[in-house]
Amino acid sequence: MLQVIDLVKVYPGPVAALQGVSLEVYEGLFGLLGPNGAGKTTLMKIVAGLLEPTSGRVEVDGIDVIAKPQEAWKRLGYLPQDFGFYPHLTGRAMLKHLLSLKGVRAKGGLGRLADRLLERVNMTFAAKRKVKEYSGGMRQRLGIAQALAGDPRLVIVDEPTAGLDPEERLRFYHLLAELAEERIVLLSTHIVEDVAVLCPRFAVIRDGALVARTTPTDARADLAGKVFEGRLKREELEPLERRATVLKAMMLEGVLRVRIYDPEGNAPAEFEAVEPTLEDAYLALMRSNGDAFEAPEVDATAQEVQA
Amino acid sequence: MSPRRLLATARLDLLHNLRRPLFWIWLLILVLTSWGLSTGDMRIQSGDSDVGGLKTHITSEFALALIFAALVPLFHAFFIAVAAGMSVLRDEELAVGEVLHATPLKPSEYVWGKFLAALISFVAMLAVHGALAAFFNHLVTGASQADYVGPFLLANYLRPALVFGLPLVVFLAGTSFYVGSRFRRPILVFFLPVAMLFLCAFFLWSWSPSWLPHAYNRLLMLVDPGGFRWLMETWLDTDRGAAFYNTQAIPYDTPFLVSRALFVLLGIVPVWLAARHFAKNLRGVQRRVSGATLPEPTPTETAPVTPAALGALGMRSKRPGFLRGLLAITRVEFRELLASPGLYLFVPLIVLETVVNTLFMNGPFETPVLLTSGVLAVGGVGWLAALVCLLLLFYTVESLRREEGTALAQIHHATPVRTSSILFGKALANSLVGVVVIGLTMLTDLIILVARGEAPADPIPFLLVWCVLLLPTFLAWSSFVALLYSLVRNRYTTYALALGAFMWTSYQDETGGLSWVWNWPLWNALQWSDMGVFELIRGELLLNRIMVVVVAVLFTVATVQFFGRRQRDATNTLLRLRPKPVARRALLLAPLWVPVLVLGGILDARIDSGFQGEELEKATHDYWRKNVATWLDAPEPDLVGADFELELFPERRAFEVRGTFRLRNETDEALAVLPLTRGFGWRRPDSLPPPEEGEGDGPLWTFAGQEHEPEDAAGLILFRPEEPLATGEEVEIGFHHSGEVPFGATRGGGGAGQFIVPGGVVLHSFSPSFVPVIGFQEGIGVDEDNAWDPKQYDESFFEGDTPSLFGTAGRPYPVRSKVTAPAEYTINCVGTLTSDEVVDGRRTVVWETDEPVRFFNVVAGRWAVARGEQGTALYYHPEHDYNVPAMVEALDAAREHYSRWFHPYPWNELKISQFPGLGAYAQGFPTNITFSEAIGFLTEDEEDVADAPFLVTAHESAHQWWGNMLCPGRGPGGNLLSEGMAHFSTLLLFEEVRGLEARIEFARRIEDQYGDQRVADSERALVWITGDRPGDTTVTYDKAGWVFWMLSNQIGRERCLEGMSSFMTHYLHDRDHPVLQDFLAHMRPFAPDEEAYDAFVEQWFHEVVLPEFRLEEVQRVESAGGWEVTLNLTNAGTGDVTVEVAAVRGERFPDEDAEDPEPYHEARTSVSLGAEETQEIRIECDFEPQRVVVDPDALVLMLRRQKAEHDLEAKKTGVSFL
Repeated sequence: MLQVIDLVKVYPGPVAALQGVSLEVYEGLFGLLGPNGAGKTTLMKIVAGLLEPTSGRVEVDGIDVIAKPQEAWKRLGYLPQDFGFYPHLTGRAMLKHLLSLKGVRAKGGLGRLADRLLERVNMTFAAKRKVKEYSGGMRQRLGIAQALAGDPRLVIVDEPTAGLDPEERLRFYHLLAELAEERIVLLSTHIVEDVAVLCPRFAVIRDGALVARTTPTDARADLAGKVFEGRLKREELEPLERRATVLKAMMLEGVLRVRIYDPEGNAPAEFEAVEPTLEDAYLALMRSNGDAFEAPEVDATAQEVQA
Repeated sequence: MSPRRLLATARLDLLHNLRRPLFWIWLLILVLTSWGLSTGDMRIQSGDSDVGGLKTHITSEFALALIFAALVPLFHAFFIAVAAGMSVLRDEELAVGEVLHATPLKPSEYVWGKFLAALISFVAMLAVHGALAAFFNHLVTGASQADYVGPFLLANYLRPALVFGLPLVVFLAGTSFYVGSRFRRPILVFFLPVAMLFLCAFFLWSWSPSWLPHAYNRLLMLVDPGGFRWLMETWLDTDRGAAFYNTQAIPYDTPFLVSRALFVLLGIVPVWLAARHFAKNLRGVQRRVSGATLPEPTPTETAPVTPAALGALGMRSKRPGFLRGLLAITRVEFRELLASPGLYLFVPLIVLETVVNTLFMNGPFETPVLLTSGVLAVGGVGWLAALVCLLLLFYTVESLRREEGTALAQIHHATPVRTSSILFGKALANSLVGVVVIGLTMLTDLIILVARGEAPADPIPFLLVWCVLLLPTFLAWSSFVALLYSLVRNRYTTYALALGAFMWTSYQDETGGLSWVWNWPLWNALQWSDMGVFELIRGELLLNRIMVVVVAVLFTVATVQFFGRRQRDATNTLLRLRPKPVARRALLLAPLWVPVLVLGGILDARIDSGFQGEELEKATHDYWRKNVATWLDAPEPDLVGADFELELFPERRAFEVRGTFRLRNETDEALAVLPLTRGFGWRRPDSLPPPEEGEGDGPLWTFAGQEHEPEDAAGLILFRPEEPLATGEEVEIGFHHSGEVPFGATRGGGGAGQFIVPGGVVLHSFSPSFVPVIGFQEGIGVDEDNAWDPKQYDESFFEGDTPSLFGTAGRPYPVRSKVTAPAEYTINCVGTLTSDEVVDGRRTVVWETDEPVRFFNVVAGRWAVARGEQGTALYYHPEHDYNVPAMVEALDAAREHYSRWFHPYPWNELKISQFPGLGAYAQGFPTNITFSEAIGFLTEDEEDVADAPFLVTAHESAHQWWGNMLCPGRGPGGNLLSEGMAHFSTLLLFEEVRGLEARIEFARRIEDQYGDQRVADSERALVWITGDRPGDTTVTYDKAGWVFWMLSNQIGRERCLEGMSSFMTHYLHDRDHPVLQDFLAHMRPFAPDEEAYDAFVEQWFHEVVLPEFRLEEVQRVESAGGWEVTLNLTNAGTGDVTVEVAAVRGERFPDEDAEDPEPYHEARTSVSLGAEETQEIRIECDFEPQRVVVDPDALVLMLRRQKAEHDLEAKKTGVSFL
């Protein structure tokens, strides 16, 4: 189990990046959703043992990550948000080197394992190319391969699908799901779809504080009957924004389609109630300064999650 | 190319430069430098403040040229390289490239715009430098320092800036820009100026042996990017006097100006190449090869059919052990290093720098050193330590920040590999660079040794010095750099701090402050001797190396602790800096820093109590302070006989001596006190039982055969006889003591003048090393704090009895030396060997002087001996037989010819003994000459006609006559009768034994040295040379040797030698010791034309003149009877001289190996010229002349002899450029 207890991180400035975050994560996929600058990466780095918090504790299966990060690294698979590799090594050599550093062993040796991992991320074709020749997506897949390697107890993936095309994103979803069968997988993202597809539980972080911990189903259920969609002319959008919580406004086939969140059910006449999505829930949370959407505090257990 | 877009790019970069701290730090350094230089501490070495003469101005064009030529490579280079080299790299790091190049901006506009911005910034800084110099020179310090500040002339600042500064700025900016944008490696950019600086400072600016052919020298002048060598070699090395430098503009020659223009071009071309490369690579344009077929398409992304499930991969993981992690890191780091283009540039550069600088080392008299493995190993140790440390600095920092630089840090640092594995793995990979450098340098040196075939190519000295001894240095430095980086986590701050530490060490080394405690790079600490390895410094060297290793471990442990794989929290860091946590951490590291302190303390204590330590410094100061006023000029008795028994214990550097001095009062008054100076490390004899209560533990003395306790005035022993010693009365003083030579540790390594070590023993009577010295010694206890101005002599100082320059006052005296040492040693003393026996493994010899001497010495070693045919012998280290035949030949020839020319040699023996190169000197004691192994024995015999082994042997042998038999007087001009006469004797001997060519060659060589080393403004006439002014040494040796040579030609060889012989006979046993005035007066009757003699003496001995000949309008025309050469010959120097001018064809002295050399023809004429006089000369030839040579036989001393020749074929062949 991953336990984050009252975590505070203050950068010189001072900037309070985390303001007393507490979290318990059990085996399986757990999503951490939040806008840019909310503190997701700071939290990921602290949990990965790469950033010292100002105060608070982080434990993985009882191991104090703050006091003994090297113990945590033994059982960690980590894919940071921004990363690179040694440019002059081939993808295979780079992966093999990281496998060595992680102390990974496998039948047939590390070379063979590296090949098979590259296979898993569909990178066999570029195994012998130098990393400096890789595209962003290829680098991302190499990063995923190294994060999978070994037998990590905790896998942290920070914005993992950035740069992946839809097919690769799908492949990655499968991989994460497979990984999460016996491990704790912490997925940090601002892409709601990632959470919607993968995470039975997730938390929302904003301005360094957790504002929600729930499941996608509960989040959607809470908004039932409160989300409306309608068509507007462009000039009608601004008056509407003044009197209602606009979740989303998008052009579709030349027509402006607008979704609003209205907990009282007093939507304009031309708007009709629609099935809420997780994105609606997330956006409602972000638009409402934290008081409009009361997500239930569910203390899920591992059994519940698996169920 | 759009000028608008180009200028927009340039403007943006210029604005950025204005905001950069780099430029403000640069400016600050320029302000401080200009202010510092305006104090006048760095001036052209001409003029002499000691004599109140004209001083060189710091505002002259020459002075400003010197500053721009030296400081642009020193101070500007690093900033220029970083600013220009990182210009494109910075955009790449900021990832603005794609946005920029998606605009209409063309690659060429981008590259040239950025370069333009860099160049404008640098030129502006150069202008600021000039403006600051002018400001400080003329406005801030000008008023108070008027004697070295001249009037303000804009041209004095502008021309040097344009000719010396600008080409280097453009060149360096262009090359750095190219390197940065082409290779995209910051390390290349950072190391480039360092490499250039080393190349300039330690080769182009400093390496200029006198034997270097003019054409090569000229070439080196032109390839110097700073122009410093040209300035020094053309105008400053040969001193032209303060007036010249202060008033003249620099006469730039065409080849130099062309080379400066070429440097500008060499700066522009790389930018064009960079622009081309940038354009080519920006959008992945590939070179088109005509006729080439399209390559096979690379496999594209295809989804595997059935990728294995993760569980099926069978992965297990376990934290990697230290070794496994270390190997993984090392492997990858090494691969990265191999991919670093800088390595392929810097490694050969370092190898080249080290090899070249050791290859051309010079010994005494500018003679090339014969290279052995040990000489090369120790000669290169300083270079390797410095260069490899700098290389390690850059590679260590870049290696430590590799993960951050490649953005791999988060992934890398979150792996379970141990931090110690990461750090050691990186260090190991970087060390391999050091190993490669050392290995290649060693290999190169060994190949050179094999190719030369003189000394054996022995790898042991290299392995010992470069591997065993330098390894701790590299470990300590790498760990220090790693610790710095771990603490500050910033590349530039680490560079600044590490370079600061490096510079501090250099400064301490330069100022003599680098003791064993601080000398981590072993700079100037080692002196190699094949006769015994590091015998004088072994203990301290070992302690120092252990301490450095422990320091390396301490730094490494600290680095492991501080190396931030995890970003620290600022608040928690402050908490950790509270006293209690800091103390706890310090306590944990105590097992490492306590040994460092203990080892440092032990070394410090050993240094303090040693012969270069503070205790001795205080004792000698006390000696000087207590006695100088009373005893400096007090009358003292003559030494009229010395008898001593000396026991040597080389394995513990110790001796015990018991002996007597017979003293006689030769003064006009009775002497109430007889002063002797004792040695400062002397103690009660070791052979005696420990002192009983009330007895002292110092030396034991007797007076007139009775035990005596004289007054010890801080080292000056004062015997007060009951009755003053009357004139003519004698008394015997006895001494008995033990000691070490030298006693205790050296301060920071190096050698010693006298020593007792297993490799050999050298002791002499000039200083109280093993026997006392009569009287107060004015040189002891004098340093910068109490040094006094030189004594001023009046015109008649030499009248009456002049005391001797060397040894004790008075006449020569007999000496009996009985010396005991281990049986394997041969022991040589002055006189003749009268007894030699071995008892119980110890050899005892007795030497007695067959003719009296003025000083004596003892030298011992494990030698082979080569005997000559004239009662001469050479005692040498059995492995140093390279030059033995040449030295024996010279020794024999010297004894034979000097005896014939000057005076019959009075002693039976004449021998040379070799001693370990702990001191690099030779001393001609009567019958017993001592040579350091670096002199003669390890002198390169380059198959030169004037070969160095012959030269040094002839010179030192001459001191048996000029120095021993004829001991000069103390006072101006005295030493010229020793050293100048020794050089003159060498000239004669070269001509006699090796022929005219050898004599001319040697004469030209010492003439060059005089031209290079003289200081024109402070130079005095020969009769007033005291040796205490800059430039006096070359006058004493080289000019005096030449002038005596000219004197012999003026008088005529036979009459001259007759006069010299008479002069020597006159003073042989006299109490009066002659100086030049006595010599000149004595020689006058031997001159056939006394008026001409007087004129010659007046000009060459009482005045300072130096002719310099200039040939102009030289023409060769065919006439009816043959050929005619016409020219205008000017004496551009000073003095009235008659000189021969020859038109010649062919080789006068062809190589022996030359097949069918062209016959030599010459036609001569003679011309007399006064200062600034010009005469038209016509030389008729019956052959087609090829050259015109002024003074073909080297009979007239002149400046810049190479300019006094004209190649008549030059125009035809076009080789006049060089």
